[in-house]
Amino acid sequence: MAAGRMAGRLALLAAAAIPAAAADHSEREYAIKAAFLYHFAEYVTWLPGAPKGADGALTIGVLGPDPFGATLDEVAATRSAADRKVAVRRFGAIEGMEPCHILFVSASEVERLGTLLRRAAESGALLVADVRGAAGQGAHINFFIENNKVRFEINPAAARRAGLKISSKLLRLARIVEPPSGGQ
Amino acid sequence: MAGPLIFAFCLLAAPQATAAEPAKKGSLASEFARMSLDQLMNVEVDTVYAASRHKQKLADAPAYVTIVTAEDIRRFGYRTLADILRSVPGFYTTYDRNYHHLGIRGFNRPGDYDTRVLLLVDGHRLNDNIYDCPPIGTQGIVDAGIIERVEVIRGPGSALYGSNALLGVINVVTRRGRAIGGAELAAEAASFGSYRGRLTFGQAFADNCEIFFSASAYDSAGPRRLYYKEYDDPATNRGIARSCDDDRYGNLFATLSFGEFTLQAAYVSREKGIPTGAFDTRFNDPRTRTVDARGYLDLKWQHDLSDHTNLMARLYYDYSGYRGSYAYDDGPGVLMTKESSRDQWWGAELVFTHTFGSPLPATGAPPLGPHRLTWGVEYRDNFQQDLHGRHTEVYLHTHNRSRIWAAFIQDEVRILHNLALVAGVRHDHYSTFGGSTNPRLSLIWQPFEATTLKALYGRAFRAPNAYEMYYNDDGATQKGNPDLKPETIDTAELVLEQRLSEHLRLTAAAFAYRMKDIITLEEDPSDGLMVFQNGRRARAKGLEAELAGAWPCGLRARASYSLARAEDGETGQRLVNSPTHLAKLNVSVPVVRDKLFASLELQYTSRRDTLAGRHAGAFWLANFTLHGRDLLKGLDASLGVYNLFDRRYRDPGSREHRQDAIEQDGRTFRLQIIKRF
Repeated sequence: MAAGRMAGRLALLAAAAIPAAAADHSEREYAIKAAFLYHFAEYVTWLPGAPKGADGALTIGVLGPDPFGATLDEVAATRSAADRKVAVRRFGAIEGMEPCHILFVSASEVERLGTLLRRAAESGALLVADVRGAAGQGAHINFFIENNKVRFEINPAAARRAGLKISSKLLRLARIVEPPSGGQ
Repeated sequence: MAGPLIFAFCLLAAPQATAAEPAKKGSLASEFARMSLDQLMNVEVDTVYAASRHKQKLADAPAYVTIVTAEDIRRFGYRTLADILRSVPGFYTTYDRNYHHLGIRGFNRPGDYDTRVLLLVDGHRLNDNIYDCPPIGTQGIVDAGIIERVEVIRGPGSALYGSNALLGVINVVTRRGRAIGGAELAAEAASFGSYRGRLTFGQAFADNCEIFFSASAYDSAGPRRLYYKEYDDPATNRGIARSCDDDRYGNLFATLSFGEFTLQAAYVSREKGIPTGAFDTRFNDPRTRTVDARGYLDLKWQHDLSDHTNLMARLYYDYSGYRGSYAYDDGPGVLMTKESSRDQWWGAELVFTHTFGSPLPATGAPPLGPHRLTWGVEYRDNFQQDLHGRHTEVYLHTHNRSRIWAAFIQDEVRILHNLALVAGVRHDHYSTFGGSTNPRLSLIWQPFEATTLKALYGRAFRAPNAYEMYYNDDGATQKGNPDLKPETIDTAELVLEQRLSEHLRLTAAAFAYRMKDIITLEEDPSDGLMVFQNGRRARAKGLEAELAGAWPCGLRARASYSLARAEDGETGQRLVNSPTHLAKLNVSVPVVRDKLFASLELQYTSRRDTLAGRHAGAFWLANFTLHGRDLLKGLDASLGVYNLFDRRYRDPGSREHRQDAIEQDGRTFRLQIIKRF
């Protein structure tokens, strides 16, 4: 029952497309985060044959309301012109999701985030969030702001479970989130 | 030294790197996209909370905002909030060897206890409820080492915060437990036998629980010898105050976050010797001193009611106490006068934020775009406002209580794609004098991506405080005035923010202030007693320009100039302690990348008039700090030299001082070591 309601609510969210959310957030902050998303790909090794992008493109997906506005597309356009082709996909609900390398899971409610992350983990994508506590709930990488700069935390155990290998350079830059007691 | 080379490199390399790329030139996102991961780690987000009571980028804030970060504090060796604030363009401080006073845009009348600035710590109001004084010197409640950032919002803030927010709102954001991730031990030694220690502990437990705790202690013997020519007489030790300038404090600060709840507790107590013979006390008597204590408990609940609505609820209890001991000559003996105040209050506030409305379509002319509505209510019960004074007998003994309720609303709406309107109003009702309504209106226009223009109008007020209304010394020199009304300010300001490159920003502002009913201590001709009255008016106008940059190589620089002409509304005379020109230069250069930083700060203050109609001369002040990071594992060290060139300068004195201007410290040093565990 609860899962059904959740899916319904997600679909509703997708239909409304939440324009206000994009306007609320700092454009500068999300432009920085969009650039980070691209860089994460350089430091992560996916399972062979897990997500597939067309002609070797790096696929970045956004699940739920998109806080990036146009910034993510601009990053994709800039990097596509310079070196690697980057494709951006947006998904309203988890049901219609296509495979991607990096999935940014946006959510304003922490409770719903946990459910989303658990279901998204099966897709084999690197899951990125920017909600306080998300790394403890299954996000592989979670953004936060510290000292007026964008920082991120990594949950290596969750990434390992998803078959992702994160390079030590990225781990050094991150704050490491240990799994909560009981989690292996 | 590699510093200047890196400086030149940063200046040259930044524009060239972007010019070489053809795609989407000028777009913020594409500039970030071309950066390396290490460069991205150093880009500043530039958001501010206190300008609108929610997080927004600086360009969207309806004010000229300056942010001082923990990084600035470390690199420039700031010791107190007063050090931090005097680095802010348009700001200056005055020290009377007991309290630091803050001047903003030409306003800092001697004897006013900084009542026209609102100070917040993590959104919690810090001005006390008797003197309305925001503690910024060594009596400050937050140790400089636990500050994450200081948001300085110029202009009127009464439309959001009520009383005191006339010239500006300063929000001190403290560090988070998660960011400490262990323990930190700081030890420092400084000139005049000054020592300070700090122990900080912070940790995140599970993902929704975080704890932060910090305690500091400071002890300064002070200069062994201070000379004041005004007292140069054999009867007053030839003007020499010996060991009368001691300063010591202890403070505790703790934050506990659990899910949506945050509980914060803070306490500070400071004891300071007064070496200036203020209030006609016996000169060179170390028994003349004050003790100031301040504490609070603050419980905050942040809850998302839906995707579009969130709620912040706050419940708090505050304590503030002051004890002054003043030694007076009494024939052959000494008479000790004791004065004290004790105030306690509790309060609660609810703030809702809603976002609604659809975005502006690409074409067509819709009436309005998305809104962000912030509204709230507040209640404060000043259940204790006591003043007490005694020499041989009690001469002052008042108990008062006052209550305040308030409601405010602010709407931010996008009228066009590049034009936003911010309109807000707040009504405060005081059990003492009645009501005050204060609006604020701002238009924020972004004609080009890198350019923002802000047109701001606002009104703010300051309620008469318990000291002004009730202080009296039983008919000796001063009496109370319970009929005081609030003073108000009307302000108009234009701000231009121009991004010159990804790393360099220009801000310029022009402002006009008009203040009326200013609460001023004046003589009542009927009985010759001093009494606070609403008589005075004042006006100020001025210009400010600031060029600030932070480069990925670690170089940070800021240069600013402020012109302010603040004068009496009736006589047109320049206000006392109001410098016309302020100029500041801050440059921090990485000598060894990410390891060692050399930072130079230059501050110019032009001539200031004094109460006696003379002046305190113009001066340049230079401070230099060498800061080393991770020199050994988890070990930082910094050496600061303040007033590097040992310049002699004076700050205007107040009515209680025989000194028309008070000599300030010459060259001093501070060595600080921080070890993280």
